[in-house]
Amino acid sequence: MAVSSDLRTFKNAAWLGWQMEANWTDPFLFATYSIVKPIAGTLILVFMFLVVTGGETDNPFFSYMFVGNALYMFVADVLFGVTWVIHDDREHYMTLRQVYIAPSSFFSYVLGRAAIKIAITSVGVLLTLAFGVFVLGIDIVFGAIDWVLLVPALLVGLACISILGLALAGVTLLTAKHAMGINEGIAGVFYVLSGVIFPISILPSWAQDISKWLPVTYWMEAVRRGLMPDALAQLNSRMNVTGLAGFDNVMLMAVMTLGVLVSLLLSISMFRYADHVARRKGKIDWTTTY
Amino acid sequence: MQYAVETEALTRVFQPKRKKEGKSVTALDSVDLSIKQGELFGILGPNGAGKTTLLKILSTLLLPTSGKAYVAGFDVETDFQEVRKRINMVSGGEVSGYGLLTVKENLWMFSQFYGIRTKVAIERIDRMLEQFGLMDKRNEKVRTLSTGQRQKMNVIRGFVTDPDIIFLDEPTLGLDVNASRVIREYIVDWVSNGTDKTVLLTTHYMAEADQLCDRIAIIDNGKILACDTPENLKKLVKTSTMLKLDTTMLDDKRVLETIKGIEKFTYADDATNNLTSLKFVLQDESAVSDIVSEVVRSGAKILALRKTEPTLEDVFIKMVGKGFE
Amino acid sequence: MSETWLMKNLRAVKGRAYPRVVGGNREPSWVFFEIALPILTVAAYAYIYKFMSARPEFVGYVILGGAMTAFWLNILWSMASQFYWEKETGNLQLYLIAPISRMAILAGMAVGGLFMTSTRALATIIIGVFVFSVSFTLSDPLLMVLVFVVTMIALYGMGMMFASLYMLLGREAYHLSNLMTEPIYLASGFYFPVKYLGFWAAAGASFIPITLGLDALRQLFFPTGSQDAFLSVWTEVGILSALCVLFLILSRLSLDYMEWLGKSTGRLTLRWQ
Repeated sequence: MAVSSDLRTFKNAAWLGWQMEANWTDPFLFATYSIVKPIAGTLILVFMFLVVTGGETDNPFFSYMFVGNALYMFVADVLFGVTWVIHDDREHYMTLRQVYIAPSSFFSYVLGRAAIKIAITSVGVLLTLAFGVFVLGIDIVFGAIDWVLLVPALLVGLACISILGLALAGVTLLTAKHAMGINEGIAGVFYVLSGVIFPISILPSWAQDISKWLPVTYWMEAVRRGLMPDALAQLNSRMNVTGLAGFDNVMLMAVMTLGVLVSLLLSISMFRYADHVARRKGKIDWTTTY
Repeated sequence: MQYAVETEALTRVFQPKRKKEGKSVTALDSVDLSIKQGELFGILGPNGAGKTTLLKILSTLLLPTSGKAYVAGFDVETDFQEVRKRINMVSGGEVSGYGLLTVKENLWMFSQFYGIRTKVAIERIDRMLEQFGLMDKRNEKVRTLSTGQRQKMNVIRGFVTDPDIIFLDEPTLGLDVNASRVIREYIVDWVSNGTDKTVLLTTHYMAEADQLCDRIAIIDNGKILACDTPENLKKLVKTSTMLKLDTTMLDDKRVLETIKGIEKFTYADDATNNLTSLKFVLQDESAVSDIVSEVVRSGAKILALRKTEPTLEDVFIKMVGKGFE
Repeated sequence: MSETWLMKNLRAVKGRAYPRVVGGNREPSWVFFEIALPILTVAAYAYIYKFMSARPEFVGYVILGGAMTAFWLNILWSMASQFYWEKETGNLQLYLIAPISRMAILAGMAVGGLFMTSTRALATIIIGVFVFSVSFTLSDPLLMVLVFVVTMIALYGMGMMFASLYMLLGREAYHLSNLMTEPIYLASGFYFPVKYLGFWAAAGASFIPITLGLDALRQLFFPTGSQDAFLSVWTEVGILSALCVLFLILSRLSLDYMEWLGKSTGRLTLRWQ
């Protein structure tokens, strides 16, 4: 009974999330927006690369950087999306308290909203990768994709990101609207330290140590290995450029799975604590805009 | 004579953005109104009647589709800057302002948009906070206020700029008896003590309109159905007899429609307590016995029967055929 | 004694700036978010340049660009888009019925957020300089101030133009702002000199004031700036001055037109569009 109720909440929250994301304009404009936005975001790095290297797009690092930046959309959009749900529902539509006091699971509600974000972002990621392959010559060969690694790595990683979003949602219950910087900050930490657009081997050693504690670092590596095994091997053949060449696929997946479990424990604890404090301080339905 | 507010065949039609969103809606249909300076004028009507649309046009937030509207002699369409210098507006259930600021700060901030010097603004704010019993909340953040306190603050915000004309859109909506009383008393004092100060008040609380207003316009479906003093409006139904009947649950009310002498009637069922309340506007008092007979024949028991003086609701029922649900 | 139109609107600027200033003090968590966190994006781009063995001054360009994003984001999200939030909370209609210029309200928002924005920009530069050992050498402080001021006036004028969209639209305008954030970073050369986009692309991007402002500041702060420059500093100051006038006029016209359109269609105060 409880499971079916949670699933129903999850489904309804996902439906609501879709409505919020998509019904602000007509379908043609929405489609245009969905295509242009992710690709535009990637072009900064493309141009930075072209300016410095003089157009060496066959350099394996170009593919490394492009793929990482495309995948990072999941991290940014999900973390932002989940924290935004709290702020938006609380201060804009003022529906958070109604959802909160309903007998359905608030976790399921937040995860449902995260799930639709993932679904929408997936389209953006696919479009970006397609653009990269067909227009920029990114080194992804369909026949060379390691699906055995790619699919579970994607799923485990996305689960981890959603769970981290839950923790941030809890923190967001306690912070003012301007603290949407939380999502920028946490996502920024992953951007710098998780090998998104450059290998962690370029970071100072203390930063590399931190990187190796972040689940997103392993996720990036695993998905890249699945998507572009040859390019990555070429990059690592010079030296341990990515910093994780010593991890085989099984170890990577094991570390990622452990990361999910630890994240789950930490996130639920953080959310519960933040929820308790928010209720005690009357922040569930406060407004902070100025 | 210059009127405070004047409208000529004022019409507003809302077109949907896309065809699939439905048909166009005529929110106001050739509304003609003339409100004198110094008048406390009420607009009474059910939800969706066009009250808020009218106020939005007069407060320069919305353009009419056709017709004209003048506030303090200025055209709301072309001379809106002059109109704005002379008006203010308060709505019921407003959540404007900033939760992080104190009551005093919020009120001061809005006063700055009307060019009021800080010293003058603070004096007015403190005086009004005292009058509304909110002095102890002066330095509290707005987000800590209760609904009634918040609305009192909103009302102060409207009056602190000392407008010539103020538009009050259901200002006591959702408030308790005390909070409503304080606001109503303030409104009456403001009009009577001021020189040519005008209030245009929309409400669907009959008693409020009856108590406060010099004149009332009844509006429904965008049209003004009647416009007169409360006493004159009630006289419209005085030739008729008003009858209130409480019975046990009356299942079939259709039989009552066939009784001669009934001009109009409404009813409300209370399923929990197994009761039905009926209100009749009678052309002929002899219909009373027929009504009683039909009720008894249908098996219901009469619990209470009384003749009443006409109220504004009765006026509305007579004009529109429905009560204020 | 009645006040002049200017005094009335300056008073309105003060009134609207007040919640921004006070709000920041009452919720001090912004200090952490606005100082520590923006450096992360800057750091990412700085490291990628290092990995690509780019010229050292490119790291400096990234830091400068990162600092200027604070002002761009202030305009886009704390000013222009703020009309969306004001509409949703019911404040917009109260501003609109007041006898003041809409530009005064927007200016108040911008002025009120300046402290937070400037703090973010300065912190980005200071932390960036220390972490990445970049040197900024200012050759002409007065010219730098001039460049900064005309850039900001033109930029805020442009922001007021965007704000006018919110009189008519709701979430469409909000998503438009969202859509514009990163392409502007690209086109305006926040993280690499705009000259490398090609002449015509750079010329087109110059319509956005921060493009030329950044280009000029790079020339003033870095000895190699002129090598990577699109136009000379004085040419850019001239164009920016013209853009100041242009955007202030356009924003006034745009705000009036959009308000009229919003009033005609009934969408001026329509929530949840």
